[in-house]
Amino acid sequence: MWFGLLARLITGGVWIVAGGLKLLDPAASVRAVRAYQLLPEAIVPAVGYALPAVEVAVGLLLILGLFTRAAAIASAILFALFIVGIISVWVRGISIDCGCFGGGGAKEDAIKDYPWEIARDLGLMALSGWLAWMPRTALAVDNLLSKPHHTSEEMLHGQR
Amino acid sequence: MASAKGPKKGPKYSDRSAQAAALLAEQQKLESRRRMTAIGGVVAVLALIVGLTWWSISRDSSGEVAQQVPAGATSDFGVVVGDAGATPNIVIYEDFQCPICRDLESVIGEPLRQALDAGNAQAEFRVVSFLDRASENEFSSRAANAAAAVNDAAGPDAFKQFHDLVFANQPEEGTAGPDDEQLIEWAVEAGATEADVRGPIEEQVFGQWVVNATDAMSKNDVTGTPTVFIDGELVEGDIQAIAEAVLAAIE
Repeated sequence: MWFGLLARLITGGVWIVAGGLKLLDPAASVRAVRAYQLLPEAIVPAVGYALPAVEVAVGLLLILGLFTRAAAIASAILFALFIVGIISVWVRGISIDCGCFGGGGAKEDAIKDYPWEIARDLGLMALSGWLAWMPRTALAVDNLLSKPHHTSEEMLHGQR
Repeated sequence: MASAKGPKKGPKYSDRSAQAAALLAEQQKLESRRRMTAIGGVVAVLALIVGLTWWSISRDSSGEVAQQVPAGATSDFGVVVGDAGATPNIVIYEDFQCPICRDLESVIGEPLRQALDAGNAQAEFRVVSFLDRASENEFSSRAANAAAAVNDAAGPDAFKQFHDLVFANQPEEGTAGPDDEQLIEWAVEAGATEADVRGPIEEQVFGQWVVNATDAMSKNDVTGTPTVFIDGELVEGDIQAIAEAVLAAIE
């Protein structure tokens, strides 16, 4: 329960910071998506604008502990996609700033950072996976949503 | 849970079945409340995502067309220095706050200037700005705007002088860079008239043009600075390889 709370705060905090910084500089976010050279130009801007919003939403849900399982699954999927993205630019020898925390994708000598970025994302993906597996955590809004039914009303009926 | 045995189906008088019916009703109520929470939650989350996306789009000015374009600028947002017919043709993407660009310039800056002056090369400098985040006072974009202002007011040779001065005095990443007064001083040192550049530098009149330049670099699939093309060929390799290639080309 308490480890789950910690996992929620870490992953949720990372998403809010990462997504928030990108929201503040949308042009850089679009450039970062383009720099991966994975998506067709037609959808690059849409992804560049919407992805940070999704990140912030996932982060807020994790921090609040609201729909924890769904948010954790989304979080794990996003981290997996980013890991794939970083590996793919690494393999192709493209040197970019991952754009993980904003920034335009353009950087000098970024390849040396890739292993660390992948390791960080793997760790965060593992925490997200844990939360998807054990979504009941301490101090979560989810607990408030389900609690009343198990206490007052059931006791009233003397059932279960 | 949508069982046909609803609680409203005929009155049952035995205690057990009344209890069972009450329990079932309770479960259905709980189930429907859960469903409402889930639907409400999904709607709220989608609304949040759409709202944030819309807000983000409204902040992006990279699609706007610059009202002020520096004189003689190329369609790729470059400034051509040297004789138009000269070869080799060197294209350099740079950010004034980029340390590796400074390292490159410290090696090629002077020999390139001599080659350009002698008519033995032409160079197109495509100055972009994505490193304001590495500066406490947006040095990257202010310097890029100032360079455009110098070019506009005093031409490519003054631009090159100014460009070299800025790189020679590049601030550390994460610090406050030289202020507008200092940029104006360098502009004058490079050959511009103060009255011509003060306004454009202080008001960043080429700010949108620099934003467009940065966007154009991205659309040309140039993902980092410095990036150098010699006669249209991308120069691969590390900073030393790039410097050597440029020096070899202008020798």
